[in-house]
This record gives sequence, C-alpha cells and structure tokens, in this order.
Amino acid sequence: MTYAQSLWGMYVRWAAAWPALSAFAPFVPLIALWGFVVWLELFPRVFLPGPFEVLQTSWSLLYKGILPAYLGDSMVRLAVGAAAGMALAIPLGIFIGLNQRAHDATWPVLLFFQAIGDIAWLPILLVWFGFGLTTMTFVIVYTVMFPVILNTVLGIRSARPELERAAQSLGASRTRILFEVTLPGALPNIITGLRNGLGYGWRALIAAEIIVGTSGIGFLMFDARRAGSVDEIVVGMIVLGILWYIVDSWILAPIERATGERWGLVTT
Amino acid sequence: MKNLSLENLSKTYFDPYAGTTVNAVQDVSLNVAAGEFVAVVGPSGCGKTTILNMIAGFVPISGGRVLVGGKEVKGPGPDRGVVFQSFALFPWKTVAENVTFGPKMRGVGKAERAKIAEEYLALAGLSHAADRYPNELSGGMQQRVGVVRALANNPDVLLMDEPFASVDAQTRMTLQEELTRIWEERRPTVIFITHDVAEAVFLANRVVVLSKGNVLEEVDIDLPRPRSWDRLVEDGDFKGLSNKVLQLVRSA
Amino acid sequence: MAERMAFSPVPYTRRRRAVKFMLPLLGLVVIWQLVVVIFDVNPRIFPDVPTVLRAGWGTIADGSLLGHVTASLWRVTVGTVLAILLAVPLGILMGVSRGVSSFLSPLFRFFAVLAGIAWIPIATLWFGYGFGAITFVIFNAVFFVVAYNTLLGVSTIPMPIRHAAASLGTSRWQLLKEVLVPGALPNIVTGIRTGMGFAWRGLIAAEMIATNTGLGYMLFLARDFYRTEVIVFAMIIIGIIWLVLDRLLLAPLERATVERWGMVQRS
Repeated sequence: MTYAQSLWGMYVRWAAAWPALSAFAPFVPLIALWGFVVWLELFPRVFLPGPFEVLQTSWSLLYKGILPAYLGDSMVRLAVGAAAGMALAIPLGIFIGLNQRAHDATWPVLLFFQAIGDIAWLPILLVWFGFGLTTMTFVIVYTVMFPVILNTVLGIRSARPELERAAQSLGASRTRILFEVTLPGALPNIITGLRNGLGYGWRALIAAEIIVGTSGIGFLMFDARRAGSVDEIVVGMIVLGILWYIVDSWILAPIERATGERWGLVTT
Repeated sequence: MKNLSLENLSKTYFDPYAGTTVNAVQDVSLNVAAGEFVAVVGPSGCGKTTILNMIAGFVPISGGRVLVGGKEVKGPGPDRGVVFQSFALFPWKTVAENVTFGPKMRGVGKAERAKIAEEYLALAGLSHAADRYPNELSGGMQQRVGVVRALANNPDVLLMDEPFASVDAQTRMTLQEELTRIWEERRPTVIFITHDVAEAVFLANRVVVLSKGNVLEEVDIDLPRPRSWDRLVEDGDFKGLSNKVLQLVRSA
Repeated sequence: MAERMAFSPVPYTRRRRAVKFMLPLLGLVVIWQLVVVIFDVNPRIFPDVPTVLRAGWGTIADGSLLGHVTASLWRVTVGTVLAILLAVPLGILMGVSRGVSSFLSPLFRFFAVLAGIAWIPIATLWFGYGFGAITFVIFNAVFFVVAYNTLLGVSTIPMPIRHAAASLGTSRWQLLKEVLVPGALPNIVTGIRTGMGFAWRGLIAAEMIATNTGLGYMLFLARDFYRTEVIVFAMIIIGIIWLVLDRLLLAPLERATVERWGMVQRS
C-alpha cells in the first residue's frame, strides 16, 4: 500500500462520512485564488475586495443586526410566497391534469403566462399596488405557481395506466385511485416543479427587492451598489449563494431523490 | 487472428472504505490458441469479469502479463475487440455508424466504411436497420450490432463479457446459434465470459471453470460442428459435458 | 421491440395543432375585453384590448418597439453565445476525470444558483450602466448552468461506452469529438434551455435598472408615465418572444437529442 493510496483512502472515508462537508472542499482553493488575485492588486480594491475585507464586512453587518434582519425578511417573503404558490398551484394542476377539456383550454395560456416571466410583471404591479409587500408577494407567488402547475399536470398525465387499472381491479374507487395511485405517481414531478419554481422565485425575489425593495438581501446589495461599497455586494452574493445551496442541495434535491429514485420513477 | 496468453495474472483491489486489499484474481495462467473459442464460467464473484477487464485493459493489472500474439498489452486497444453485457452502443450514432466506428477511428474513408457496414450488417442480418438508432432496436438486435461492431474492427482477439445475459431466453438461443455460425465462418480467437453452463458448452472448444480467483479445471468440448440447439438439446454428449461442468461450478 | 418514431410533418396536422394552441389564447383576449367592459375597469389599472393594440401600433409605427426588441435580443445573443463557447469546453475538460468532476461540481452548483439577477449590482459596478453590465449578467446566467450541466453530462456517460470507444481504438481527440461531446449533448442542451430561462428574466430585470433601451426599459419607462397600455403590450411581446424561443427553438432541440437517442434526462 503506497502513501498516496492511504491518503486517498483517508479522503474517500472522510468524504463518505461527511458528504456535506466535502462539498466545501473546492471552495478552499477558490478563496485562496481570490485572495491571491486581490493581493496582486490587478484590480482596484473598489472593484474587487479581498476575502478578509468581505469577512470583516459580513461580521459588522451581522453585529449591527442588518444581515440577520434582511435575511429574515427575504426568507419570510420566499416562504410565504412559496406556500401560497403551492397551495394554489397543486390543486389547480391536479384539476387540469385530470380533465382533458380543461387541459386543452388552459395549457397554452399557462405556457404563455409562464413565458411572460415574473419580473416583467413588476411595472404593472407597481402601478396596481405601489412599492410594498403586496407587489413582492404577488411576484413570488406568480413565479412559484407556474412551474408547479405545469409539472403537476405533466405528472398526472404521465401516470401509468396499468397502475390505475391494477388499482381498479383491486377494487379501488375513483377518489381512492386519485389519492393512492395517481398523486403519489405525480409526486416526483410535483417536487421537481417546486424545485424549479423556488429557483425562479428566489431570483424573482432578488429582482423585486432590488427594484422595489426597502429591505431584504436584494435591497442590501443594491443599496450597497448605490453607496459604492463593493464588499457589501459580495457579502450579499455569498449569503444568497450559500442559502440557496443549502435549501436546494440539502432539502429539495434529497426529497426529489427520495421519491424519484427510491421508487425508480424517472423524473423528467 | 492471434493467440492470447495470460501469465500468472493477478488483481488486488484496494478498498478505501475498509482500508484493506482484496485479492480478486490470483495467479491465473491460460493459453488460448489462435482461432480457439474459450468460455470462462464460474459463480458470481469468482473474478471472471475482472480477468476480462484486465485483458481488455480497462483495469490495471496487479501482477503477471497479458500477451496477444506474443506482445504484452498495455491499456485498451483495437487489437482486442470487446462485446459488453450492457451492449455499450453509442446512442447518438446509427447502427451503421456504430458498426463502422472502429474503422473510422483508423481513418478508413467513407466509401470503404459503407462497404464494411454493408458486409457486417448482412452478417448479423441487420441490413434493414442500418439507419436506425440503437434505442429503436430490441435488445437482441442491439447485441447483434455489438458483436459485429467488435468484429468489423478486425481485432486479433474477441472478448465477450456475458453478452447475452440481458436478452430473453428465446433470443438468447438464436444469438448463440448465430454466434457459432459467425465463429465457424471467420474463426476469431474468442474469450467468452458467462455464468450459463449450457451456453458455455454449446459455444466453446474449451470451458475454463473459475473458482475464487483461480482456475479450477479446464474441460475440452469436442462436440461436432456446426452446432444447433435442435440437435444438441437431446444429445447425450452435450448433456454429459454440461453436467460435468455444472458439477464443477457448483463445487467451486 | 420499440417501433421507430413516426415523424410525419403533414402540414394539415401542424396547422390543426397551431389552431388548437391559439384558440385558448384568443379566448383569453375575449375574456379580457369582456371583463374590462362589463366591470368598467379604470384604464389606468387595466386598459381594454383596442387601447393596447393602438399603443402597440404606435410603438411599431415610430420604430421604438423594433429598437427595444433588437437591443434585448442582441444582448441575449451575445451573452449566450459567448457563455456557451466558453462553458462547453470547460465543462468537458473538467468532466473528463471523475475525481476532478466530483471535486469541482459543488463550486459550479454554487455559482449556478447565483446565476443571473444576483450579479446585477456588481455587474453595474464593474461595467457601468449599459451593454457591458447587461451582457455580463446574461453571460453569467448561461455560463455556470451550461458548464455545470456539461460537467454532469460528461461524467454520467456510462463507463462501458467509454470502454467501448477505447477498445475500438479511439484517440484522445476522437474520444472528445465522437463520444464526450455527443454524450453530453442532451445535458448541454438542457443547460442552455435552463440558463436562457434565467438569462431572459435577468435581462428584463437588468434592463429595468441599468440601461436606456430594451424591453425591460420599455416597461419601466411606461410605468414612469403610467402608460399601462404600453406596459401590457410590452409584457405580451416579452411572453411571445420567450414562447417562440423556448418552444420552437430550444424544446425541439432537446427532444431531437434526448428522445431520439433514448437518453434519460434528469432535470
């Protein structure tokens, strides 16, 4: 056994024991590279702050309570928007997915509204509701809703007929079939839709906070932009990235895998 | 076609989770004459696929040598054609493009490749499917493509890794008969890995029984050719040889 | 045995499908007009159909719509093409080794989730307001998503396929051209589709903030003057452009590779 082998073995064992931690490994050389580029002073500090300054700034933002407050604001908006979006989208998606006529009548309309895109709604929402929470909530609900509806419909419609026949021949009623067979079958799609929807919703939130915001991470970044304080922008970006990374790969992706892969269903 | 010899071939794996080494293959020596068909059988985990992967050059050799026509091999190469259990056809290439992939890699021109495709597709009875994609074919047809893709590259040795394990029983028998026909026609040197004893006896000139990384015994199969299931299924010699190999495998 | 897909580009069925697609949208326009008339909606809140059409015709006649649309599309094209040209080779390079790809993929996921809008503040700082900043935002939205998907695509090519290529005598360059690129193509196309979805939204947002031309700016300018009819018209144009781009260009491309080749796709 060579030295390299045992070293590799140690890394593999460590990565297997702490899969969440091994995700941070590639960031170490990246941050080192970042620090090195700043140290070379290729770009003025006003354009590119160093890792240490960013750390200092984030500490002071934390200390002053700005970062936790803004972060809380953004998270609450996203959570409320996502919950409302799902509450509307899933029943609607089930209805459209089960009903051929409703599908024919609404599918193009759904695609069209999905295509307009959340952010394009901002100006008219500002006219309707002004700068405020309503506008922001509307945008997030809207953004989360469409991917969830579209994917739910897809999931319901791609249910395998032989499963429904099997349930039927085992004596299940129509409602029982819906809840025991069709919906679980559509679940992986619904979760994929939710994952996409939240991904878009998250971006819409940032945009809304930048354009209409009075608080939140997006507002923090844009306010910093106005003041020309680049380190606060970078803090905002890092917080956004970490947060979404956590939500996406530690919560959403595992749920998606747990349903899709466990059941051997292919999520498309 | 050239001969193939394995000299004291060994494979030890390093298990990073357990931190220990595992001996998958120990000191296996085997000579396959040019134009001979050798089947390797054994229970799962006996190292037969590892041996094939070492011959093909897909995994590094821990000890010993593999010689093709007297020359030691290093890494994968076109001198050893491989037929895979999972077919391993290129999904983005048509059947004809898959079959002529090897010649294309050698820089054979378009017109020449068209001729090769025609010849080998006819050999596999697939002329009608030349422009289809693998995904549009049944498993049996896909593996026919897999076999002629390897042959069309004129390898010195043909390595087959449980190639018919993932097709249905009916198709498997047809494919076995087609393979003996092709082998009788062209006489390639073949190493055929399988866990199906009847398949091994039906196809091979010699069956090597493997046990825990070692050669347990070699059985010569002197059944007359051409072979077909119609004839052999009731044949006393075939039954006797099959039983003999089966006993060896079960004792392994 | 899987039967060959029946491709029958009969114009009749195509026209029927187009009609079937357009009918609900026409229905929506009728409902819109009825609601506005019956409930006597204030045109400041939501204008009726003729008003929007008139406003739309106005922007077409004075050439301003064409200017905004070309500005937006030009930015998207430049940003996307640059991003793809850089992301695909990089993704393939990193995907070649399994160790490297599993080590680096969290990095790319991190930047992929940041894609687009989150870069607007720093992009405007680096490039100033205008073409540079907006194109940079689009570039970012597409680059990381495509690079990550390419990496994923290359590293998920089944080992037997690589082995098959090696034992058929493939050189390094041929492996790249014949196996790695086509094998990763379905993922690359999916990446482009997702990335452009983010980029399109990022474009609209960036144009609202950082420029004086383009569809996003058109929207925001109209808001400043409470021209609701222009806002609605611009929204419809944005929807139509993305629908055409996504459904007629990107989705068929995805289908042609993923379905024809029978390669299963994870989103």
